Amino acid sequence: MHINTTRFGPIQIESGDVIHFAEGLLGLPSCRDWVLLADAENDSLAWMQSMDRPEIALGVVSPRRFVPSYQMRVARRELEPLRLDDVQAARVLIVVSKTERSITLNLKAPLVINLSRRLGRQVVTNGDLPVQYVLGSASPALRKSA
Amino acid sequence: MLVLSRQRDQSIIIGDNIVITIVDIRGDKVRLGIEAPTEIPVHRREVYDAIQRENLRASQLDPKDTRNLGTQNATGSASPPGS
Repeated sequence: MHINTTRFGPIQIESGDVIHFAEGLLGLPSCRDWVLLADAENDSLAWMQSMDRPEIALGVVSPRRFVPSYQMRVARRELEPLRLDDVQAARVLIVVSKTERSITLNLKAPLVINLSRRLGRQVVTNGDLPVQYVLGSASPALRKSA
Repeated sequence: MLVLSRQRDQSIIIGDNIVITIVDIRGDKVRLGIEAPTEIPVHRREVYDAIQRENLRASQLDPKDTRNLGTQNATGSASPPGS
């Protein structure tokens, strides 16, 4: 099927490509179906494109690529809706944003995806992780993990 | 807003399946125990608000904003942190 996107133009996807977020995302509750697209130029980046709204796409990265010490601490109940057979099989993606001068990563609320069931959820992690971790700042913000 | 008085170890129930219990009260801090079905997200309000704002901001990101992503990390902190 075809979907239209503001950033990438019309794209062809298969129905099996769709990742369903049953609750949408915080602030974007109506955006429930997404597809994951590779970035054309940057292999450390991918895009979660909303199927519902052409203008909504989130840049996503693998946390370990940018914050090697990143560990996702999350209550079990947060992951239950994903019906993961094996928690290790969960794909974790960090949403990229920017301020006026820096690229930032939302370490507090990663997207967790069960690729085999095509289910996703934005989880809120425990501990004191920033929603705007400035990329390139000296130390990762993993000072507290209570 | 409905306002109810509760003491320690007392609860309120919302609908059939959400129970909020006053676990502890110390000074100006109250600890709540929340039992809710897993499909009902429970968040601290300020965290919820911050993530909501951040998602909306992130959804405006343009591919050209990310050209240097991945090279930045290797070069260390070339620019000062902050907004």
